[in-house]
Formats: sequence, structure tokens, C-alpha cells
Amino acid sequence: MTGAATVPLQESLLPEALNISFKLLPALLVIGMLGLFLAIGFVFRVADTEDMWVAGRSIGNVENGMAIGANWMSAASYLGMAASIALAGFYGLVYVVGWTTGYFILLIFMAAQLRRFGKYTAPDFVGDRFNSDGARAIAAITTFLIGFVYAIGQAKGMALVGLYIFGDYGGIIPGLDGYQVMVVAMMVITVGYLTLSGMMGATKNQAVQYTILIIAFVAGLLVVGYTNGYSTVLPQLEYGMLIDDLGSEFSEPFATSSYYLWVATTFSLIVGTCGLPHVLVRFYTVESERTARWSTVWGLFFICILYWSAPAFAAFGTDLYTQNVDPTYGDPGMTGAASEVIVVLAAQLSNLPQWFVGIVAAGGIAAAIATVAGLFIAGSSAISHDIYTNIINEDATQRQQILVGRLSIVALGVLTTLAALDPASSIAALVGYAFALAGSVLFPMFFLGMWWENANRPGALAGMTTGLVGWSIPMINEIVPTYVSSLEAPLSAGLAQWMPAIGSALITLPVVFIVTIAVSLVTEEPDIETKRVVRQCHSPEPMGQQQAAEDVVTDGGETPADD
Amino acid sequence: MPDNNTQDSTDDRTVTDGGVAGQAGQAHRNTDYLSAEVNLLNPSTQFMRDHLRIVWTGFVIWVIAVWGPVTATYLATDTMTTQMPVLGFPLHYFLVAFGAPTSALLLSFWYSRKRDALDEKYGIDHGAVESAGRESGDAAAADGGVDE
Repeated sequence: MTGAATVPLQESLLPEALNISFKLLPALLVIGMLGLFLAIGFVFRVADTEDMWVAGRSIGNVENGMAIGANWMSAASYLGMAASIALAGFYGLVYVVGWTTGYFILLIFMAAQLRRFGKYTAPDFVGDRFNSDGARAIAAITTFLIGFVYAIGQAKGMALVGLYIFGDYGGIIPGLDGYQVMVVAMMVITVGYLTLSGMMGATKNQAVQYTILIIAFVAGLLVVGYTNGYSTVLPQLEYGMLIDDLGSEFSEPFATSSYYLWVATTFSLIVGTCGLPHVLVRFYTVESERTARWSTVWGLFFICILYWSAPAFAAFGTDLYTQNVDPTYGDPGMTGAASEVIVVLAAQLSNLPQWFVGIVAAGGIAAAIATVAGLFIAGSSAISHDIYTNIINEDATQRQQILVGRLSIVALGVLTTLAALDPASSIAALVGYAFALAGSVLFPMFFLGMWWENANRPGALAGMTTGLVGWSIPMINEIVPTYVSSLEAPLSAGLAQWMPAIGSALITLPVVFIVTIAVSLVTEEPDIETKRVVRQCHSPEPMGQQQAAEDVVTDGGETPADD
Repeated sequence: MPDNNTQDSTDDRTVTDGGVAGQAGQAHRNTDYLSAEVNLLNPSTQFMRDHLRIVWTGFVIWVIAVWGPVTATYLATDTMTTQMPVLGFPLHYFLVAFGAPTSALLLSFWYSRKRDALDEKYGIDHGAVESAGRESGDAAAADGGVDE
């Protein structure tokens, strides 16, 4: 139970101290929740592609803000962040900073411009802006990879919470322990759910999902704080009094990481925020560019509610764990698996009724499913819309497109399940790798494509290739060896120190910028048509609700976009 | 300038302006945005200059809010880790865990207000186009009447 280094990894994946058993009420809660999502999807089901991809461009400020929040807050925010703060102390706060402050950059540099550009998917932007199917394909592959890496963390989170709700079924599938069986079960449920629901009413659903997860989280925090006498009405500020008692490990700066790693990680998470396809696509769905701006403000506010609360949850959980189980720090200390469920543990150790702990746990599953849905939809549309329909088979029928989309969702599910059976890192770190990828490959293309009209096709191709290679180097150095038994990670300690996988965008991003700009400068300028589209994205002239920049530039918006 | 499409919207604006168009409104009316280069470092239109002034101001404050506290903690660890009165946080912890996200939120609010004010200064009315766009838009774009 100690999770010491000699214990095989699988065994330490069962969180000690967590009450693992089948619990009827929490199980009904989760099933009821999934049923509700399906019902909402059915009521708001859509008929045509415009509605399917961008919700008819009819979404308003607050609703889009909630959708941004639900889309955004995954198991990494709900479980992983508190886990990192509890275990890594001050370094864990990089996630609080990185996953909120990036929205300001998104707002001032990209939100309104993206609305004006008005395409359907992130690879669409790259392909159309740089007039290149090659760039479109690289962007689509990146989107698929992001969905895969990101979802590993979600699968881990869902499985750990699933253990609390459904119990330990280790051995049901030969060779798999309780955690691994739960990974398989939760991913089967998620993929099945996605196949049933598709993108039906996704935005409406996300507003509901946000409501569920934020109520579960904040109510959990308030009750845990109140029943243990930590806090009254504002635990988000009251946990400060507790920090001194938690030991220096909780708050001492740079105890578990260097200043450089701190800066690199936050930077990577921030630019990743501005490059994640499932985040960017939210700005295509709004009614006007003004809504794009204000919904970002609302979205950030909704996100902050959870991010102000997570450090408080970590502080309460750490103290409860130390009092009731074992000292959190020192040897042996809290295991990674236990820390990942610290939010649920805090509620359980407070002796709260089972249904209430169940609500907190169900919130974690809602968070994970909402995000996996967004990621898998983005990943599968990248394959079916951007690669299959645009490049491989231009005459694809609706039926073929949907089939390819469904198959890619299943493929993503299988890959994710396999990688999550024995995950290489914590939930938050796994998600962080996806951010480094988005920040290395997609963010530079969006930023330069939007703000520098001379960025061209060869520049984009060279830049994106550089970004992919740059991201892979530390991943091969640190993460791949953990899946190969004969190798020890990291392969090169020096590389891991200066180009850590979690913060690699700090190095990769400037290199990609330089490569893109240099190659663009020595090759031919893009044609005037493309430049005019970029200018239209920045013009303050208001645009119609159904217009994209391309329509205005080519013919005053008389015909619909022709892709 | 050949085929630009500003004519019809210019007509709109003369009506909605109500005669408040100052110098900025004039400049906006005389600008053909599709012929003006987009350049982050060297803006080519008056609107873009005004807009980028706000953007860069916000950006500088944002950089300080995000990396200022942690850099100060690195340089002056003892001062930054002192306990705050009343709240009880170590200062660096509070500035990072609460200060940075809150700053980003306040800055976002500030920026959106500023940007709206800029639209007003230049006599740009999104409301008129939003409703006009809806009427002339595709009939299939029924939004279920749920807009606030």
C-alpha cells in the first residue's frame, strides 16, 4: 500500500485510503447524468452540417462562456490540479496560472479575428489560410495527436473515480488489475456515448455539464471546509490560514522544481491554451465578434470559479490525509494515485454521506466526459472532414464521412485505452504534453497567420514540421521510455532539464516562429486574395451573422463558402 | 480601389451615426481596410493603431502579473514568502494562486470594455448588423428563440 519504488507500477495505481466498493446511489447518479446528457442531445439534435459544426452561429455570451468552461475543464482541472498542488506544492500552481491566464492572450489576439475568419475546424483555418492541403493534413494529424495525448489523462481520472463508485473488478479481464479494468470500462462507456450522441446539441449539453461540475466542485469544497472547521463561506480565501500548518512542502517555492521549469511550464500551458483546436472552435459558434470577446470574459470567469477553489481543496485534502491516513510528505508519503483523487478523498475523509461524496465524484466524470467529447469530435472531424473528405476522397458521401468519423472515434478510444492502462505521468502532466504540442504546432500558425499577412505556405509547412519534431524530442526522451521496459527515462538528463516535455513550447515556439518567418521571407509572398482575407479578419467593419471573411472578400457575401 | 464592398454599409452608418462622427469616425469612413496591410508591429490604419495601443498595454500588464510574482520570489525569496496579515497566505503563494488568474480576468474585462468604447468612438454599431444579419441570413438558422 505504500507505493514505494519496489512495488510494481500496476499495484500502486490503486489509490490507498480510497473506499473502493460498489455504491448504489453514486452509481445511479452517474448513470442518471449520462442519461440526461443523451436526452438533452436528443432534444436539441441538429439537422444540417452548419448546425452540427458551429451550432448555427447563434450562441450568446453567457451560454458560450459556459460552453468554453465545460469544454475546458477536464479531469485535469477537476482532479489533476488539486493533485499536483497537494504533491508538488508551489510547482503545482503552474497549472492554475497556465490554464487561466492564457485566455487573455486568446482574447486580445485571436477571439474576434477567429470569429471573422469563420471556418469550421482548426485544420480548416490552417489549410485555407495557407492554401495548402499539406498544411491542412499536418494540422489534422496534430489535432488527432492532441486528442489522443489529452485523453490519456482523462481516462486515468475517470478510472480512478470509477473505482470509488463502481468498485474493484481486478481479474475480470485476465491480466488486468482493478484500475485497468476500470479504464477499459469507462472508455467503452465514453465511446459508446459519443457514438450515440455525436455532436447533437453539444453546446447546450456543455452548459449543463458546466453547471453540474461546478456545483459538485464548489459544494464539495464548501461542505468539506465547513464540516472540518477550516472555513465558512469563502474557502477560496480562508485556506490561507491553514498553509502554515501543512508543512513547508506545500508552499515553499522551488522546492520540487527550478525557477526555469516553472516559467517553461506556465509558458507552454499558456500558448497551448491559444492553440487547442477544441478551444479555438468555440469562437466560430458565436453570433458576432463582440460576442466572441465577451463570451471569453464570461468563460474565463466561469473557469476561475474552479481554479480559485482547487488550491483550497488541495490544502484541505492534504491536511485531512495527514490527520487520518499517513503523513502526506516524507517517506513513504502520499502516492500519486491517492493524490489524483484528493478531491474525492477529502470528501470521503470528512465522513460526509455517501451520496454527497458520489456527487463530487460524478462531477469528475462529467468533467472528463465533456472534454473527451470535445476532443474526440475535434480529432475525428480532423480525420473525416480535413483529411478524408478534403484530401483523399473529395466526392465522399455524407454516409462515408460519418463512417470515417465514427471509425476515428473508435480508433482514438482504443489508442487512449491502451496508453492509459499504465500511464506515464500524472493526469495534469499528461494533459500538459498535449498543451505543449498545441503551443508548438498550432498556436504559431494561428498567430502568424492572423497577424502577419506575408506568412505563406512554405513557411507554414516548415514551421509546423519543426514544431512537431521539436515537441517529439523531449517526448521521446522522457515519456516513450516508460512504455519500453528495457529503457530508463529520461534518456538524457540534461535535455530533460532544459527542454522538459511539459514545458517544451518555451524552446519550440520561438524556433517555429523564426523558421516560419524566415522561410516565408525567402519564398514568394501569398497572393492578394489571401492577404485580403487576413485584412478582413482585422477590419472593424461589422459582419453579418452568417458571413465568413472569405465571403466578404470574394463577392460581398452573396454566395456561401464553397468548401 | 476596385471591388470593395463598403458602399452599402457606409450608407447604414450615415444613418446610425446620428451626426456624432468625429475625426475618428471620419477616418474610419475613409479607410479601405482591405487595402491596408495587417502588421502587428507597424499598424497601418488609425483604428488598428488605437486598438494595438490597448492590446500592448494589456499585454505588458499581463506579463508582469503572470511572471512578476514568481520572478520576485526567485530573486528575493525571504521577502516574498512572508506571511500576509489577515489572510495568512505566504505572499508569493497568494500572488500566484489567486493574483494571476484574477488579474487575467480583470484585464479581460478591461480589454472588452475598451474595445467596445473604441467601436463607439469610430461609430461602429454591431447591434445594427447583428439584427440585419439575422434577417437577411439563411432562414434555416433558426436559433430556437433562446437568445438572451
